[in-house]
Amino acid sequence: MKIDLNVNGKAVSVDVDPQMPLLWVVRDELQLKGTKYGCGRAMCGACSLHVNGQVYRSCSFPVQNAAGKNITTLEGLSQPDAPLHPVQQAWIDECVPQCGYCQPGFMMAAAQFIQEFPEPSDDDIKSHITNICRCGTQPRIIKAIKKAALLQQQQKK
Amino acid sequence: MTKDKTTKKAFSRRKFLTRGAVVLGSTVVATYFGMPFIRRYLAQTVENMDIGSMITSYDPDFWFEILDDNTILIRSPKVEMGQGIFTGFAMLAAEELEVPLSQIKVTHANTANGPVDSLSTGGSNSTSSLYEPIREVAASLREMLKAAAAQRWQVNVASIKVKDGVLSAGGKSITYAELAKTTKEWTKPKKPTLKPRSEFKYVGKDVPRIDLVDKVMGKPLYAIDHHYPDMLYAVLVQSPYIGGTLKKVNTKAAAATPGVVKILEEKTFTAIVAKTRYAAEMGLAALEAEWEVPKKWQKADFEATVTVGKGKAVNIQNVGNANSEIKTAGNKVFKQAYRTPLGAHAQMEPNGTVASYKDDKTEIVIGTQMPGMVRDRVAKAIGQKSKEVALEPAFAGGGFGRRMDVNNANEAALISKAVGKPVHVFNTREQEFQNSHYRPNTHHVLQAVINEKGDVTAITHDQATPDMVLESVAGDVGLAIFGADFLSAGHGASILYNVENRSTTLWQMKLPLKIGIWRSVGMFPNTFAVESFINELAHETKKDPLKMRLALLDGPEEINQRYQKVLKTLMKKSAWDAPKQPGIGRGVAIGNDRKSIAAAVIDVAIVDDAIVVKKVTHVIDAGVCINPNGIRMQVEGSIMMGISATLYEELSVEDGQLANNFLAYRLVTLADAPEIDITIVEGADIPYGVGEPPLAPIAPAIAAAVFDLTGKRLRSLPLQLDAAES
Repeated sequence: MKIDLNVNGKAVSVDVDPQMPLLWVVRDELQLKGTKYGCGRAMCGACSLHVNGQVYRSCSFPVQNAAGKNITTLEGLSQPDAPLHPVQQAWIDECVPQCGYCQPGFMMAAAQFIQEFPEPSDDDIKSHITNICRCGTQPRIIKAIKKAALLQQQQKK
Repeated sequence: MTKDKTTKKAFSRRKFLTRGAVVLGSTVVATYFGMPFIRRYLAQTVENMDIGSMITSYDPDFWFEILDDNTILIRSPKVEMGQGIFTGFAMLAAEELEVPLSQIKVTHANTANGPVDSLSTGGSNSTSSLYEPIREVAASLREMLKAAAAQRWQVNVASIKVKDGVLSAGGKSITYAELAKTTKEWTKPKKPTLKPRSEFKYVGKDVPRIDLVDKVMGKPLYAIDHHYPDMLYAVLVQSPYIGGTLKKVNTKAAAATPGVVKILEEKTFTAIVAKTRYAAEMGLAALEAEWEVPKKWQKADFEATVTVGKGKAVNIQNVGNANSEIKTAGNKVFKQAYRTPLGAHAQMEPNGTVASYKDDKTEIVIGTQMPGMVRDRVAKAIGQKSKEVALEPAFAGGGFGRRMDVNNANEAALISKAVGKPVHVFNTREQEFQNSHYRPNTHHVLQAVINEKGDVTAITHDQATPDMVLESVAGDVGLAIFGADFLSAGHGASILYNVENRSTTLWQMKLPLKIGIWRSVGMFPNTFAVESFINELAHETKKDPLKMRLALLDGPEEINQRYQKVLKTLMKKSAWDAPKQPGIGRGVAIGNDRKSIAAAVIDVAIVDDAIVVKKVTHVIDAGVCINPNGIRMQVEGSIMMGISATLYEELSVEDGQLANNFLAYRLVTLADAPEIDITIVEGADIPYGVGEPPLAPIAPAIAAAVFDLTGKRLRSLPLQLDAAES
């Protein structure tokens, strides 16, 4: 089935099974590899991306539900020729990634989170972001989210 | 995948700077000393040995490439799986190359064009084994460039100056790139003199990871991201049962699934090949498979199998007469038993391979800890020579020992050969949990004699667990000689403390699944048991557990001085002697993992009937510190993995099946991150490993803190408050 999507600001059309998870559509049909497969059951968050500004775990999100909607993947988080998105800048400042595989999912979750919680406490972060990282970058992720929230405020001023 | 093929090779092949390799196995010969002596001797020797690398070429041409923009590309023989080795190598090379760090790039050595370490990446030895070699190769390259410039300008080589990738003398100057491009004859240098530590510009300073920006921007670095234009996707049919084999298969519905191209039924495997990953997964779901399951294993079977007193016993430490002391001491013997469960690596990128079979040159892209060995196995499987297989190691989405395996590389190459197209073959998460190799469950019995004065005079440790790795490293011959796997299963099992009589015995048996290495190898279970027992002994003898360790680890050797420094630093940093805080329990532990010493004081609280780690004060002495930021990352990672394995992780065994997802195999989340205070001590003049050693003290320190707070001794992992014994 032909499905129209808007991915990272560009209109695209894919011809796929409407039940195909959005994860495989962005990765294998659109060659955007930043969104990762981790568990296929919406448990780990490695595949997190935005659909109309909301975070979804794309491994369990049929592409037909995204028809006509705006999808943002990590590749589209920062605007070209603009300063980096506060989350990506904070991830660099705090030197967060180790293996790096789960980080796109964390960054996508964090990007929406700091809009809802512009001045988050540690407890806000700990109770709202449930993605999994195996390298043990959790302490730095918490620092980076707080830094990102701060950068976001500075950018808005 | 990143491709750096902008410049063709600038140097001719030349062999120098050869180094001896460490070879274990059939070269070891038993002598008239008898097997028990030999085994103990080997156990102690190997435990203390600096395990080298098995890199066959130290030719700068193999290691380095000078690119047109005057950056230098390093082809790393070690793979990057998150531990930060690329950054460490770049720093070390920059010291001798006389270029800023920003002018260095690092990529994996492809087996077709770079230095391959057939010993693999692991054991936390990448930095220690290559600390000198990589600087020697870099210095050789610099000297070759200087000699070429001297020849070109007809000046004395001593007058050539190098700075930031530019050579100059008497008003003339040329970049490395210009010189490399236009020089045909190169002079082989003598072994170059290396800079002393006092002149290092980068080593010892905080440096961000060299792969940081690529990872934050989501670049396609991993094997699962690799793409060929006409690539197909396959999934293997793998058993959901322990020891299960395919009895009967009905492929009709799978073959009829839209997008499925072919069901490949080979002698050794069955695969579903499709146009998309989604179609391959749907085909797998539609496949009707009947499994032959020889036995429906339960957790109780695993625990009964892995029990001290069963299997083959090998003594690996015998100081004094510990066993006879225990036998004759009667009721003065203090005895406890500990257990650790089956564990999974659960790294975030499932294993898999992208293979493109060609008659003359097969390409393999895989996240692996042993590129050389995987290439050789793939070559054998598809009937090619090793040199006809080009294996490109990808950034691994987590390693932790899970990638010390061929995984499905052979099948991927065979599928590509069968279908005539490149193929992408990755495990589903369920397959990754159920068709892996595992950290085996362990059982430990520790006994001690306490004399009238309250001093410990003898300790014995009997440990039961299967072979983790020795059979695959040393082969049948090695295993027969060594008797038991002291390299990994026995790693950390010996008693460090200066107690008069000490003995450690490994009991080795088999479990019905593949056993392998898990971050820190034997240190994790062994340190949990031994250090927990030491904490119990301190309590029994009414001693402060940290001060008792200071007393029992004192001595004349360099290692004793290092223990003292680490423990005293920890005492101060953790404010160990400060009054107890209400609602907080504290525990301490220490480990020595191949000469890296790590100790921690951990504070816990009980919140809603659950153990919560509030603070970890950690001190590590891994010798020379290359990148403090890199060490802190590894310590933080080890702390989180340690908390995870101590509080939550247990791979369940039920009705013949293992847990198969993250709900059933719980890991830490952000909610578990404690306050962390890390201190780095440099107690030796060479670097030791940091990827695994910081993990050793975590589990026993948490268990001790729980006892401090609640009075409950928890002797099985994961720690569960309702399972308290005595």
